Amino acid sequence: MALAFSSPAPRFAVSPSIPHTSPSNSFLITVPTPHRLRRCLRRGVKAAVAVDSPSAEGGGLPVESPNVLLEVNDLRAVIKDTDKEILKGVNLTINEGEIHTIMGRNGSGKSTFAKVLVGHPDYEVTKGDIVFKGENLLEMDPEERSHAGLFMSFQSPVEIPGVSNMDFLRMAYNARKKTEISPIEFFHFLLPKLEAVKMDPRFLDRNVNEGFSGGEKKRNEILQLAVLEADLAILDEIDSGLDVDALQDVAKALLGLMTPKNSILMITHYPTLLDLINKPGFVHIMQDGVIKRTGDRSLAKLVEKGGYAEISNA
Amino acid sequence: MAITFFSSSLLPPLRLRSPNPNPNPKPKTLAPIRASLSDPFVLSIAEKLEDSLPSSPPPSLQSLRSLSSQSLLSKPWPSRKDEPFRFTDTSFLKSSQILPVSSPNPPSDPGFDSHSPNLLVVADGHPVPSLSRLSSLPSGVVAGYLSSLPPGPVLDRVLAVTASEFRDGDLFWDLNGLGTPDVLVVYVPEGVRVVEEPLHLVFCSTEGEEVGSGRLPVSNPRVLLVVEKRAELTILEEHLGIGDCEGKCYWANSAMEILIGEGGMVKHSYVQRQSLNAAHIKWTSARQEAASTYELVEVSTGGRLSRHNIHIQQLGPETVTEMSAFHIAQSNQTQDLHSKLVLDYPRGFSRQLHKCIVSDSSGHAIFDGNIKVNRYAQQTDAGQLTRTLLLAPRATANLKPNLQIIADDVKCSHGAAISDLEEDQLFYLQTRGIDLQTAREALVFAFGKEVITRIPYVPLQESVTSRFKELLAAK
Repeated sequence: MALAFSSPAPRFAVSPSIPHTSPSNSFLITVPTPHRLRRCLRRGVKAAVAVDSPSAEGGGLPVESPNVLLEVNDLRAVIKDTDKEILKGVNLTINEGEIHTIMGRNGSGKSTFAKVLVGHPDYEVTKGDIVFKGENLLEMDPEERSHAGLFMSFQSPVEIPGVSNMDFLRMAYNARKKTEISPIEFFHFLLPKLEAVKMDPRFLDRNVNEGFSGGEKKRNEILQLAVLEADLAILDEIDSGLDVDALQDVAKALLGLMTPKNSILMITHYPTLLDLINKPGFVHIMQDGVIKRTGDRSLAKLVEKGGYAEISNA
Repeated sequence: MAITFFSSSLLPPLRLRSPNPNPNPKPKTLAPIRASLSDPFVLSIAEKLEDSLPSSPPPSLQSLRSLSSQSLLSKPWPSRKDEPFRFTDTSFLKSSQILPVSSPNPPSDPGFDSHSPNLLVVADGHPVPSLSRLSSLPSGVVAGYLSSLPPGPVLDRVLAVTASEFRDGDLFWDLNGLGTPDVLVVYVPEGVRVVEEPLHLVFCSTEGEEVGSGRLPVSNPRVLLVVEKRAELTILEEHLGIGDCEGKCYWANSAMEILIGEGGMVKHSYVQRQSLNAAHIKWTSARQEAASTYELVEVSTGGRLSRHNIHIQQLGPETVTEMSAFHIAQSNQTQDLHSKLVLDYPRGFSRQLHKCIVSDSSGHAIFDGNIKVNRYAQQTDAGQLTRTLLLAPRATANLKPNLQIIADDVKCSHGAAISDLEEDQLFYLQTRGIDLQTAREALVFAFGKEVITRIPYVPLQESVTSRFKELLAAK
């Protein structure tokens, strides 16, 4: 039962004026509070995570006060057309340099969460807020979110007939850097990135994702991430439809892109990619539109062994 | 299953018509009866056209003039009740005072450029030798005016070709035949190739009237291409208003006849960029002998009323026919393509792609694409696709893709789609930091580029591309 994981007590302590009727049913709780209170509250929450994750790697918790990259508070969202609520109060905090993974059953809201973060027009946020690098993400258009440093790789990358991959990447680069790079200069910028994702330069002349295999499309997403040099990469099932070799390439490419400053939020069904990246990180289990449980990589193993039933019963 | 077809869900159902043994026979006496009921408006235009030309035409033009005037008498001005003009509003022409262009007025400043060494400039239907250059055409190739062709086998051949009557022509075809001062003839003898250095035909209008004056100068340029057995011709045909004509009112009523001999090939690029207040009515009638290839790429962006009628008749088996068209209809523009491909012999292959962007509420796209697969056209492989982007509320498109199939062993497909830009494509671009406006422009550009890149001559392809970019930026 979801409520078992909620901890309403600190909320009343911090902000008693908030009505009782909307209990957050997530473990990682951060409540709507004025900005100056948020930071100390979040630290308290992190401490709680550590208790749940007793393993030595501890999810890579920074000792110094970390720089918060993304902070999601009680996020609720519906499908615009049907008003069906998909996200029912998601809370999540990602600091610089962290790797987070969301797992969960099909239909639990993982992909919706990713899409809402990048501003997909099919969804409407009805409650809660998202702060990215100190700015209110919900007030930004999708392209502004990208400029701010947010990137999402699509589960099914969209084909764009008539637009060459080269033109597309250059357009994106120019928009991000507010510049007008020449095609030749841009090609030199691209070459090492193509090598990093093991992509044939001939793909640049082809139309965006048109006729690409599943693996090629996913490599192309990582290539875009590399070009845009995002601070937070949301990878929605980047590992689906990839063979073992392609998966290793993707993992290597991702590792190559990691810096102490940037972070990854992965959505996946399998712990394989986590193992390949082999870095400490947080694993969140999403269920029915909320983050039900948070732990370290051992939690992913637990899911792999016993399925989600095990987790919800725990 | 003998007939295979693929049909998109947005389509009216595929029409399969059974053969009609007696398709509406017309009594021989009809023409004289109708003649007495001739449309006075048509007659007045015909009279003015006749008056504007020398009273005794060159002998080689006589038959064309008399055939055209005969045929014209039985044709009233088209109304919306006539199926071919059901969606096309010609009232702009009807309400104007139509005047033949005055005497030849050769432009001194061309106002256009050509990268090809072979250039023929025609101003208001008259040749402009001072701007034309033809010295690098292979020997044996003839490019000149019918009235000035010396007697000989080429003239005999050309006259024989012009003698065959074209029954599918409409009133505008006949008006052109009556009003053309001369016929521009391009003759490519057997086995000769004019490909790497294509022949560039530029048709310019130099006489225009102010918007609102009610006057409409009309010109009637006419071309005949004869491409003999195994010969190849790449032709670039451009229509525009130059000098004082930019933004003015005029009417270019143009016609082109093409005969492609056995195993011959014609690659035809057709670019229409007339004044946005002009009327442009154009006929392209091609006949293809066995194993010949005809590839037509059209880009039409100009004209207040622009209509292209294509008629392609198969004269032997194993022909290849490819038609691609890209139209833009902006504010107060009608872009109309009426095409008809008649297949009477086996193993013909044809592909047609029609694309149109309507970017304003007052813009109008029309497409009627007919492919007729007759009884003996077995193993025909015919495909047709039309896609229209409606980018403004209340923008209009009337699309009528239609296949008439009588043969029973054919593969035919058609599809039609009318839509706005794809939301998921726009969103994808946005998530990569590209703002909505730029994303829309990129997708619109890509939509048109598919056809533009089929222009086989790169310099023309590039100039069309850059003008398309300017159009997008101007919006």
